[in-house]
Amino acid sequence: MGATGSRLEKALGDQFPEGERYFGLENFGNTCYCNSVLQALYFCVPFREQLIEYYSNNKNPADAEENLLTCLADLFIQISSQKKKTGVIAPKRFVQRLKKQNEIFRSYMHQDAHEFLNYLLNELVDTLEKESLSAKSDSDTSSTSEKIANGPNISHANGPNISHANGGVQKEPLVTWVHKNFQGILTNETKCLCCETVTARDETFLDLSLDIEQNSSITSCLKNFSSTETLNAEDKFFCDKCCSLQEAQKRMKIKKPPHILVIHLKRFKYIEHLGRYKKLSYRVVFPLELKLSNTVEDSDAEYSLFAVVVHVGSGPNHGHYVSLVKSHNHWLFFDDENVEMIDESAVQTFFGSSQEYSSNTDHGYILFYERTTTASTS
Amino acid sequence: MHRVASSGNTSGSSRPRREKRLTYVLNDADATKHCAGINCLAVLKSSAADEFDSLFTGSRDGTLKRWSLSEDGPSCSATFESHVDWVNDAVLAGGNTLVSCSSDTTVKVWDSLSDGTCIKTLHQHSDYVTCLASANKESNTIASAGLGGEVFIWDIEAALTPTTKSSDTTKDDGTNGINGSASTLPLTTLRPVGSSNNISLHTPQPQGYVPTAAKGHKESVYALAMNESGTLLVSGGTEKVVRVWDPRTGSKTMKLRGHSDNIRVLLLDSTGRFCLSGSSDSMIRLWDLGQQRCLHSYAVHTDSVWALASTPTFSHVYSGGRDRSLYLTDLATRESVLLCTKDNPISQLAMHDDGIWVATTDSSVHKWPAEVRNPQKVFERGGSFLAGNLSFSRARVSLEGSAPVPIYQEPSYSILGTPGIVQHEILNNRRHVLTKDSAGTVKLWEITKGIVIKNYGEVSFEKTKEELLEMVSIPAWFTVDTRLGSLSVHLETPQCFSAEIYSVDLNISGKPEDDKVNIARETLKGLLAHWLMKRKQKSGSSALANGDMPSGKDISSRTLPLSRTEVDGNAENDSLVYPPFEFSVAFPPSIMTEGSHGGPWRKKITDLDGSKDEKDFPSWVLDCVLNNRLPARENTKCSFYLLPFEGSSVQILTQGKLSAPRILRVHKVVNYVIEKMVLDKPLDSISSDGAFSAGLTDGSLRSGLKPWQKIKPSIEIFCNNQLLSPDMSLATIRTYIWKKSDDLVLNYRIAK
Repeated sequence: MGATGSRLEKALGDQFPEGERYFGLENFGNTCYCNSVLQALYFCVPFREQLIEYYSNNKNPADAEENLLTCLADLFIQISSQKKKTGVIAPKRFVQRLKKQNEIFRSYMHQDAHEFLNYLLNELVDTLEKESLSAKSDSDTSSTSEKIANGPNISHANGPNISHANGGVQKEPLVTWVHKNFQGILTNETKCLCCETVTARDETFLDLSLDIEQNSSITSCLKNFSSTETLNAEDKFFCDKCCSLQEAQKRMKIKKPPHILVIHLKRFKYIEHLGRYKKLSYRVVFPLELKLSNTVEDSDAEYSLFAVVVHVGSGPNHGHYVSLVKSHNHWLFFDDENVEMIDESAVQTFFGSSQEYSSNTDHGYILFYERTTTASTS
Repeated sequence: MHRVASSGNTSGSSRPRREKRLTYVLNDADATKHCAGINCLAVLKSSAADEFDSLFTGSRDGTLKRWSLSEDGPSCSATFESHVDWVNDAVLAGGNTLVSCSSDTTVKVWDSLSDGTCIKTLHQHSDYVTCLASANKESNTIASAGLGGEVFIWDIEAALTPTTKSSDTTKDDGTNGINGSASTLPLTTLRPVGSSNNISLHTPQPQGYVPTAAKGHKESVYALAMNESGTLLVSGGTEKVVRVWDPRTGSKTMKLRGHSDNIRVLLLDSTGRFCLSGSSDSMIRLWDLGQQRCLHSYAVHTDSVWALASTPTFSHVYSGGRDRSLYLTDLATRESVLLCTKDNPISQLAMHDDGIWVATTDSSVHKWPAEVRNPQKVFERGGSFLAGNLSFSRARVSLEGSAPVPIYQEPSYSILGTPGIVQHEILNNRRHVLTKDSAGTVKLWEITKGIVIKNYGEVSFEKTKEELLEMVSIPAWFTVDTRLGSLSVHLETPQCFSAEIYSVDLNISGKPEDDKVNIARETLKGLLAHWLMKRKQKSGSSALANGDMPSGKDISSRTLPLSRTEVDGNAENDSLVYPPFEFSVAFPPSIMTEGSHGGPWRKKITDLDGSKDEKDFPSWVLDCVLNNRLPARENTKCSFYLLPFEGSSVQILTQGKLSAPRILRVHKVVNYVIEKMVLDKPLDSISSDGAFSAGLTDGSLRSGLKPWQKIKPSIEIFCNNQLLSPDMSLATIRTYIWKKSDDLVLNYRIAK
């Protein structure tokens, strides 16, 4: 493994980015779903920095209660503070904690990387909310505002960017730095075709799960995602204004695009007549630069691809996960312990295959885009 | 001549009836007013000089009304009640025929000059029928269109012909004719074969009239128009294109593109050369069908255009829509002027002499001056503007706040309706429903009597609802909707029979303390009291046809024997209508059902005229009211454990799980505990299966002087450490205190 490290160092040579570390992660038996996602998150620089910042601001040696957040932060700090530029690290504590906390991930079975990512982000949010709540009650009792143990990013937690949520949210939820990175708002618009009243319901998301088609692109999948659906025949809409069932047109729009847009391609589809899941190896082109056009507030949110979690294999219950990461304009390939430099053009070999039975089984599964244009609202 | 059980009736009863629902619609206002939005208008000019013109209105309340337009102002002269959902459109055709269409998927044909007789129900559509079009007023050609893209062209005379004969023969002498048998029998299965006794209902007859289908729409149709000679039909809808048809063949002639949203209204000139369309994209377009192109687009409205009407020469168009404004536009010069603004979106327009009738989504209709004969006169008053040709041009005007001032402030005539119910809440006692109407008035209804028992006026609905909150739990035996502007109460078997109540709680006297009634059964008996009475008279008169009994015809329908004493003499005790279930005769509710033969129908309970309707009631309703047979339903019992309160020294022997009716009160449980304590031996009658209540029924607290009563200790019953009031029922305890799905646990102890 020293050899791979030095090979990567050699390949980068003078261009090795200042202060950056590229470390492979040891596999503890089918933990590649975890490793691939951790690499993508580590190279989501704002997320990494905010996690470490929050952790160092809130580290409380008195109550050393371990949770996924502390384990993740410890792991990220461990990587970033390595003396060597490259090498391998065993994310032992993190994986142990994960297995302890959630039964699903306990077995040595093949796990779904998207499920893991979703679980991890929600777990982080829960931890932050819990800590903020206890910090609030602490500060309430002691009434010294300096004692608020929140990180700097959490201080104006109830941001205005969610206040226009239309009835769907009862109480203002806490907007943590995790939300600020990953959360976007979708709006579900329904127009009654009789009285033409439009009802809008907002919902938040941390990632978008898209249905995919053969030989399509992310743009067309997004277009399908927000295409107009007519509620008719046996499936009419109950219009509150008309007090009756009427035809209606319904569409989903991205109202507030997130800073980090995580797109999950639904490659694992339940096939009714087979009674099991099947992997769709469809070719879905994901561009390096993505423009969102179907948003309400920002008509042209632009994004740049920085990480891809790739599923390797032909079925849903077995296979392997690797990740592609863009760091300082170099593309790197992370496969558990191994880290290699790849050419940008190699990214397109992970789009999928046009034929059903292809030898190429490496398909982009989770895409991480970072916004390049500054948001006009937040 | 009193051959009441007609052939149609007997053969009908052998047909399976699957419908599970019976609905009744309550009203508390006089029947001369609409109580929901007006969807359509039609003007009938009088032919004789001494007669008045008539206006027909079709409403979301499910009825149509005819208004006699005398000099003293309009007055309601007939109500056409048979549709069971919104009336969406109505047109006049040849021979004083009124044709209406509804969201109940039917098209109905009426004699426009009658007192509300439905001549025929046409079942061809499978979804809401949204619009109708007729050629000229003498023609029999009409077209109907609706959701799902269905378009049919009818020859009304031909559609009526096959059944008129049988309709005559089966018509009963005592009927007032509403919803006669002809309209309740499917046209495909009914045809006259010799005498009426031989009508075959079982073999579908292909000879029934079938309309011409205009096939081609992939999506729903929301607008339809036909030219005067009936040679051209245009349709539009969510496909955003205007389709042109030859109504004689149903073939497509062309398709016109231009609108960017749903097409809501269409208009053809008398020659069929020009077509006007109004769309949800807020534009009005003028099409030249000869050249197959759009001549002009007019940006007049700031929102969807829903209604159009033109001057006879097609030189000017009146338009209304979602922006609540009525405009007049000169089609040639594009000059436009705001005539009036309304409080609600405008749904339809109808020219009448020099004025225009305007229907809105509230229950009123107004006539406005419009200078129909010389529209140029309106422009002379000033305030006109030039219509743009891009949809946003008017939106910008309204944003800038430079909206024009309407020419007219007051309508010349008004036909006022009553405000429709827009909000409702079923109270926990499941007999009262709180409603709020469009005027903000809050009322409390007793749905087992069909009356308003309290009018709160304009108060907060939410606050009143909270004030009326009662901690009782009664199964949901009915559902309610307000799409007709009034309360529609739906009873669906077998769920509707799930609620029972003690007679004592309804103040029904002369019943043992434990007597229970089934709320739905009593309600159905109350609703059908008039029908049952009529039926009895008829069967009585037919059985005693040779005797000297008076025929049903001779008994005045004004004396409704709704109270028990009047019926007592000739009925078994069971068919009595208890006072809490006596429905209003002044404002009788209407019954609606999907029907087994002729499809859905609606009728006032006081208009049900005996056995003839029987075949169209769902069989479960007849089983319930005639035979007292209720469907098998889920257990009305509640299982529970009775254990000593923690730390209590009292201990009685219980045999594990007990079972009792859900409406059993806590004081009965107290009695049980006392009885067991004093007797100090297990009651033999108690088993784990319902015998518990039986063991108690004879031990009435008030009546007996049983030994255990003399030394009655005071017992308290607890659930979840909460002391229970003696009035609480097991169901209430379960819902509000126990709050768990597993078996209820009650604790007892001697009061300190």
